[in-house]
Amino acid sequence: MEYIIKIKKDKKNLLTDKWVWSMAWKDARNNFSRLFLFISSIVIGIAALVAISSFNNNLQEDIDGQAKELLGADYVVHANTAIEPSFMARMDTLGIEIANTSSLASMAYFMTSTSGTRLVRVVAMKGNFPFYGELETSPDSAYKVMKENGAYAMVDSNLATQYDVSTGDSIKIGNITFQYAGEVKNIPGGGAVQASFTPSIYIPMEYLDSTGLVQYGSRVNHDIFLKTQTTKIAEDIADLLKNDVKKQGHTFETVESRKENLGEAFENLYRFFNLLAFVALILGCIGVASSVHIYVKEKRATVGVLRCIGASGWQVFNIFLIQTVSLGILGSFLGVILGLGLQYSIPAILGEFIPLDINVAISWVAVSQGMLVGIVIAILFSVLPLISVRFVPPLVVLRNAMESSRKVTKTMVLTISLIVIFPLTFAAFLTKSWAVGAMFFGGLLVAFGCLALFAKFLTFLVKRFFPHGWNFIWRQSLSNLFRPNNQTTVLVVVIGLGAFLVATLSLIQNSLLNQVEFVGNENQSNTILFDIQPHQVDGVIQLVSDNNLPINQVVPIVTTRLKSLRGKTIDIIQKDTSDNIPNWALTREYRVTYRDSLHQSEKLIEGTMQREVVNSGDTIFVTISEGLKETLELEIGDRVVFDVQGIPIITYIGGVRDVEWSNDPPNFIFVFPKGVLEPAPKIFVLTTKTTDKATAGVFQRELITAFPNVSAIDLNIILETLQTFFDKVAFVIRFMALFSIITGLVVLAGAVINSKYLRMKENVLLRTLGALKKQIVAMTLIEYGYLGFFAGLTGVGLSVISGWGLATFFFEVKFSPDYLSLLGVWGVVILLTMIVGWWNTRDVVNSSPLEILRREVL
Amino acid sequence: MSNILTAENLSKSFNTGDKKLTVLDSVSFEVESGATVAIVGPSGSGKTTLLGLCAGLDVPSEGTISLVDIKLNALNEDDRAYVRNQHVGFIFQNFQLLPTLTALENVMLPLELRGEKNLLRRAKELLERVELIDRGHHYPSQLSGGEQQRVAIARAFMSNPKILFADEPTGNLDEDTAGIVTKLLFDINREEGTTLILVTHNLELAQHTQRILQLKGGKLVSDRRLPANETIVSDLTSEQESFTA
Repeated sequence: MEYIIKIKKDKKNLLTDKWVWSMAWKDARNNFSRLFLFISSIVIGIAALVAISSFNNNLQEDIDGQAKELLGADYVVHANTAIEPSFMARMDTLGIEIANTSSLASMAYFMTSTSGTRLVRVVAMKGNFPFYGELETSPDSAYKVMKENGAYAMVDSNLATQYDVSTGDSIKIGNITFQYAGEVKNIPGGGAVQASFTPSIYIPMEYLDSTGLVQYGSRVNHDIFLKTQTTKIAEDIADLLKNDVKKQGHTFETVESRKENLGEAFENLYRFFNLLAFVALILGCIGVASSVHIYVKEKRATVGVLRCIGASGWQVFNIFLIQTVSLGILGSFLGVILGLGLQYSIPAILGEFIPLDINVAISWVAVSQGMLVGIVIAILFSVLPLISVRFVPPLVVLRNAMESSRKVTKTMVLTISLIVIFPLTFAAFLTKSWAVGAMFFGGLLVAFGCLALFAKFLTFLVKRFFPHGWNFIWRQSLSNLFRPNNQTTVLVVVIGLGAFLVATLSLIQNSLLNQVEFVGNENQSNTILFDIQPHQVDGVIQLVSDNNLPINQVVPIVTTRLKSLRGKTIDIIQKDTSDNIPNWALTREYRVTYRDSLHQSEKLIEGTMQREVVNSGDTIFVTISEGLKETLELEIGDRVVFDVQGIPIITYIGGVRDVEWSNDPPNFIFVFPKGVLEPAPKIFVLTTKTTDKATAGVFQRELITAFPNVSAIDLNIILETLQTFFDKVAFVIRFMALFSIITGLVVLAGAVINSKYLRMKENVLLRTLGALKKQIVAMTLIEYGYLGFFAGLTGVGLSVISGWGLATFFFEVKFSPDYLSLLGVWGVVILLTMIVGWWNTRDVVNSSPLEILRREVL
Repeated sequence: MSNILTAENLSKSFNTGDKKLTVLDSVSFEVESGATVAIVGPSGSGKTTLLGLCAGLDVPSEGTISLVDIKLNALNEDDRAYVRNQHVGFIFQNFQLLPTLTALENVMLPLELRGEKNLLRRAKELLERVELIDRGHHYPSQLSGGEQQRVAIARAFMSNPKILFADEPTGNLDEDTAGIVTKLLFDINREEGTTLILVTHNLELAQHTQRILQLKGGKLVSDRRLPANETIVSDLTSEQESFTA
């Protein structure tokens, strides 16, 4: 007898096998709800990606398109010291149109119906600034009136609203009283954030000297704006003046450099958003894999039948692949639509933080990227769980418990490799850096790894120290954590990751906010009077005493510059290309003080502090703040020569101070010992503490009347502004983090539903054996309570490490965790897990056991 | 008459930890084309395992099996699936209809898989034959157990299989329904001239076949051919009782 040992059959591929397509449709048409989690994961992940990418692209385009309008000119020189006449003469020889502004902080007294005084930025203007962009005022003629009608001033709109300034009102700045010309609604280079911190008043340049504000020690910023015929000419001028500008310690900007600067300014925003997009997308990937895993489990019997009647492993695989890819395409499309919708809300929330007009437009790059990534995710992350259907033995139709053969196939190896490569490549693509991408990916792996390890450890601990004496319900719930087919690892990883993200955001927010909450200390000053001339010191002290306010500090300040470091002059260091010291640190003006003791805000961390120089020939040892010591690359004993009003003072670094800058200002980079700078020209700063707004108002009015050049910083106002600012930032952070959190919830629901199928039979049997509804509910709540408890604990615990890392190395602020809000996050995680768990048992508790058992058989 | 199924020294073992569990031990038999055969035996005797091996749902640990002149041992799983699709029909104890397909679609499934067209007429004829023509658009969850098994019978015959394997086809049905299903199964089988291999505990059902193979402890302990109108129920019942006690 001859037997056939080789089968000849028509080979059909995915595209030519019509049955596969028709079966995919027939099987899915009444079944879409089963893939709800799958599609939700893709929709939310892609929505986050598209919204963020579109916003980033729009922002980039706006930066490119508006850089010139933001700069207001083709070339700008920024200086924080008076412009040298020789330098100005050189600019004049260029024969191009020039405009100037000079700005400094000063008190302004508003003589209006809601009169008051306030620290403002006084901007003196000359020429036709801005050359590009629009200076929007109300009324339209305000700028013309200010330039042509004499002592007129324009006021930033938020300031005008605050003091109810209207036509006919006056504002006193220094010695001059200006008439109100109108409000400034928008000015190139301005921004709502800057305006809320230092609102500006604009005056004609010719009145600046008469105000009497510019005195010795005053900090005045000067900007020179040039208008050229072409951008090329501006770049040529930049090249021509580069050395001069550097030598004078000034800086310059062209349209191109403004673009770069703006890009860099938004770099952290991009990074933060990209991090969120990455996390949302990765959670989406887990959601996809988890929901397909659940789906495949549900479809095991169907697979068995199909295999039994002759469908090949690949045919069955293709049926479900077609379903998931089709839904992946649909999900990506819906995600793109949702993302584009969300994109419109981002500028509304972020608008005031960005000095640009954000034009919301569909970014086709982001759309195609979203579609592509969605489809790739749908394929990549569903293939791995789907591969298992190829190995479901047809024998499952006879024996349900028959296990699939576990084979490692080429497809599996390829898929796993791609799954590893995808997040890494995607992170690198998002951040445009393999290193940062690898960092994201590494961070993710570490978080996943820690959570998975903890889950395994937890399972071990529960098993090892199982409380046999507890009552049935508690034992039953606890033992579910380590029984066969338990979901402890999956749930702890997923829930823990969500908790980790939210808690990290909360920690960072707290750390940032804590930096500005420096007025809370009982005896700390909250009002700083600065620019007090030596002859005014006694008068100001008297005024403070007359108002029954304490005099906390009277600190002398001497303005100096660096002349040489370690024997090398600043010129030589600037020319030395191997030197890494930034130019600003070499050329800036240093405001130093002298005293014989440490201030409460500082600690000596290296060396010693010389208290006083007794003899004129003695060596002078100064102390330096830790940060600038590193920037200037100085060590104890290094020689530093200061230029104090033309006189060189030779000093040596004697000690290094760790300065807590926000604690009881003013604080200083360099502190001299007593007995050196006393004869030098100086100004004084006085600090005091006002108890309420009314006292502060009265005192500030008297101060501006008696001493017009003396300014007062009211830290309470700054604190309020900062608080508002951070509230808004926190809102933005939370809004954007919502994407990740929602995706996390979808994944959580998926994971819990997955476990539901495992627990359902057991719960039905318990019901059949007579367990009460409340006992089943209690067991479920306790089991998910355990999971939420441990997952939340791990996630929150890990967030302390990541929060510390981010605060210390990324935001460079002091890590100040608020353990109460962490407890809150933990509590919410436990509660949410229990709610989702309970939601899933409703089916069991509300149906008769027979109904469920019959359904299970079917 | 030629053999449609030949089993030679079939053995099947499983490794359970350190031990090797042999569930089928050197079973050999042949089945002629068009015959009806019942495989009986107590629980754990290897009936379902033997059925799975004969139908190409599994491969033996030792021995060979040939079905419609095709040596199943030499084929991989996909090739065996192809053989099943071309030549084999199945009926299961728990019906195994696809819950997402209607009754009519379930019936058409095997031929659709082959890529054949114009199946509706035959599918409807079969549904009519099992008296469910008016339930063709119902989903399995909307049908009773007996109705589901009738749909499964229609599906099994849809592809004109050369051989039909039935695993406890009345095991989940009440007595009356079981009677209806049994009658339908044997009537259609006779009409179609299909070879039928039946695994059952139900000796009354086995009685409808021409030959009864009896398994015990994984070995074939008897192979009895029933002449027409002869019954061996009494003999088997006493043995069966001792198996199942």
